Amino acid sequence: MRETFTKGMARNIYYGGSVFFFLVFIGLTVDTVKSLPKTDNRENLTAEVIAGKRLWEHNNCIGCHTLLGEGAYFAPELGNVYTRFGESTEAIKAFIMSRPVEGIPGRRSMPQFNFTDQELEELAQFLKYSDGIKVARDWPPNIQG
Amino acid sequence: MKYKSQSIAMLYFIAAIGLFVGQILFGVILGLQYVIGDFLFPEIPFNVARMVHTNLLIVWLLFGFMGAAYFLVPEESERELYAPWLAKLMFWIFLVAGALTILGYLMVPYATLAEITMNDLLPTMGREFLEQPTITKVGIVIVALAFIFNIGMTILTGRKTVISLVLLTGIVGLAVFFLFSFYNPHNLVLDKYFWWFVVHLWVEGVWELIMASLLAYVLIKVTGVDREVIEKWLYIIIAMALISGIIGTGHHFFWIGAPDYWQWLGSVFSALEPIPFFMMTLFAFNVVSKRRRDHPNKAATLWALGTAVMAFLGAGVWGFLHTLAPVNFYTHGTQITAAHGHMAFYGAYVMVVLTIISYSMPLMRGQQAANARAQLFEMWAFWLMTIAMVFITLFLTGAGILQVYLQRYSDAPMTFMATQEKIQIFYWLREGAGVIFLIGLIIYLISFFVKGEEVKMVERHAAEAAS
Amino acid sequence: MTQATITKSDTDLPKLLPGDFAIWFFIFAELLVFAIAFIAYAVARQQNLAMFNHYQLTLNRELGAANTLLLITASYFAVRAIQAIHQDEIKSCSRWLYASLACGAGFLLLKSFEYYDKFAAGINLGSNTFYMFYLSLTLFHFLHVILGMIILFAITIKAQRGGYSAENHTGIETGASYWHMVDLVWIILFPLVYIMH
Repeated sequence: MRETFTKGMARNIYYGGSVFFFLVFIGLTVDTVKSLPKTDNRENLTAEVIAGKRLWEHNNCIGCHTLLGEGAYFAPELGNVYTRFGESTEAIKAFIMSRPVEGIPGRRSMPQFNFTDQELEELAQFLKYSDGIKVARDWPPNIQG
Repeated sequence: MKYKSQSIAMLYFIAAIGLFVGQILFGVILGLQYVIGDFLFPEIPFNVARMVHTNLLIVWLLFGFMGAAYFLVPEESERELYAPWLAKLMFWIFLVAGALTILGYLMVPYATLAEITMNDLLPTMGREFLEQPTITKVGIVIVALAFIFNIGMTILTGRKTVISLVLLTGIVGLAVFFLFSFYNPHNLVLDKYFWWFVVHLWVEGVWELIMASLLAYVLIKVTGVDREVIEKWLYIIIAMALISGIIGTGHHFFWIGAPDYWQWLGSVFSALEPIPFFMMTLFAFNVVSKRRRDHPNKAATLWALGTAVMAFLGAGVWGFLHTLAPVNFYTHGTQITAAHGHMAFYGAYVMVVLTIISYSMPLMRGQQAANARAQLFEMWAFWLMTIAMVFITLFLTGAGILQVYLQRYSDAPMTFMATQEKIQIFYWLREGAGVIFLIGLIIYLISFFVKGEEVKMVERHAAEAAS
Repeated sequence: MTQATITKSDTDLPKLLPGDFAIWFFIFAELLVFAIAFIAYAVARQQNLAMFNHYQLTLNRELGAANTLLLITASYFAVRAIQAIHQDEIKSCSRWLYASLACGAGFLLLKSFEYYDKFAAGINLGSNTFYMFYLSLTLFHFLHVILGMIILFAITIKAQRGGYSAENHTGIETGASYWHMVDLVWIILFPLVYIMH
């Protein structure tokens, strides 16, 4: 059988197969990007939300939390925190604001970021927008995230 | 070692091992923060330690890949490296940029780092694994381009082998997909979708090409098996890796707001992702059993076989465990993911870099293989680190299963923090395994300095090899 | 081992699979993908039986049946091409290959009509689970027909130039094996998605 298992054919399958599936992947990506407006909550992408996303990034929130299940697994999921906090941006702001500077002895502690009122509002709006994204099967399975 | 310029790899490997040590130290800190929540708080909060842990991993693996390329490409191409000075220059640029970035993480708050590196000009920071300041990302691109140029010119003006060409496609793919890290749209769904173009298409795509070619190279060297045979298996394995892995990206699109069809596509294709890893395991054991010589570097052979097995377990089995959409619905973003991540990265990428280091370091130090005692130390390190990693994975899996049940599946779901309290015991056990891993790593470091009698190559008689 | 001994021992072995062994990895991987996808379809159908049955009736069975005939004929022509090359009839071999390609092209044409019809009616991957399966399965197969034809075309060109002979025809068998796989998948896909009620 060895004579009919040739390197040339193996090579062709490698190149041909990868190109084929990569093209399929590009096609699917185009379709996905086209159909995102139905689910991605872009109508609520306000200037505040955009500023909130920047704050989210500049404070490396993903380093402890997950957002839609992606990130670190050290602190609670925030993709549904708006719902979990009773659909209240005020509750989210109050939580972030009230973190003690020196942490809570012996427990996992969220840093005190000293945000301004404006920044707190932006972050809360970003989390509200994230909660509004229509995710398949309404993931996470329940309100606890 | 046939060519002088191959020895540049030594620089890269030393840096890689040094950063590896840093990564593990921070891993141990993180493990402790999981059980003693305010450990080092607020000086080194969890997010900073984690960023250092993951970024060091990425950087040292890149050092390892580059060192490996600088070592094997001249030999495969049968010529000196195109521009050794460029390789040296890039080494220092990359090392300084990497060190400054890590120091930046540790010295100033992340928001300050974003400010002083002018992230607002081209915001790319603050996304998992892509936390590096934009200027560092630009640096990575420059280093990668110079590296590709150097390696590419060496390959294209010398003998072209399958191994070096596959390695080159892997490296080019690595650079190309990294460019998606500069795309950071305001739209969170789009952001996440294309973020995976870097993360998934690296570790479940082009990095597999690099890994497979490095493994094939070492297997040719330590077993003396016909290159022709190894090369066609290499092609088939990486073909399967890409055929399953490219659309397999879909397993990350289940719960981020992408269309529903990804649940089917992602499940079907990623269910096939273990196949190339399984083939790699069969292939590695097959080649070693058909070896034509008994290479004195037993440790390198052990690492090579270990890579194949652990990559299959970590990336293949533990990946499959939670890749199907109905399962992933419950496990997504829990400790199950962490378990898979640890074993997959160790099995596939850490181990393949340690394999090539194990094979090439003695050659660069003027021996065929390290002395018998040094190899004994190295093999102890292999078993300690590997078994420790298996236990880290098992404990995290236990933690994950319990977490899924308590927080997501039971009739009275508990809060995240309450659940974490309940699974503390697993985190303590994991930390214990992590310390064993660190001990293994220390023994690994010692193995480079152990003295003893030199060992020599034994060529097998052709007839004996065939039997 | 020398080259001579390798060749000898190999010819002594009975051949399990026609064509290049490498293609069989690809064929098995592809069959596995389709098999899992078919199982997924069956599961989803069980969960939404009424909906699947309802929308199935909107599919064009006549075109589907015609396409089945076209692909089977295409496969048959490929077999004739292999028989021809066994007899060293190079001209006739490439003629059969062209005939096979023509059938493939006919399949693509009919299928394009079908898609045009569906897309004009505003149906897309997101319409419902049935259409999601119908479109993704048939489109994925459609792409395989195109890939099969590209492979077949490359072989045809080589055959025309006298690249194959009665002794050396592994290439044709390799391409034909893949082509048969494409046919086989359709033979399962057609009753499953179009007919089974």
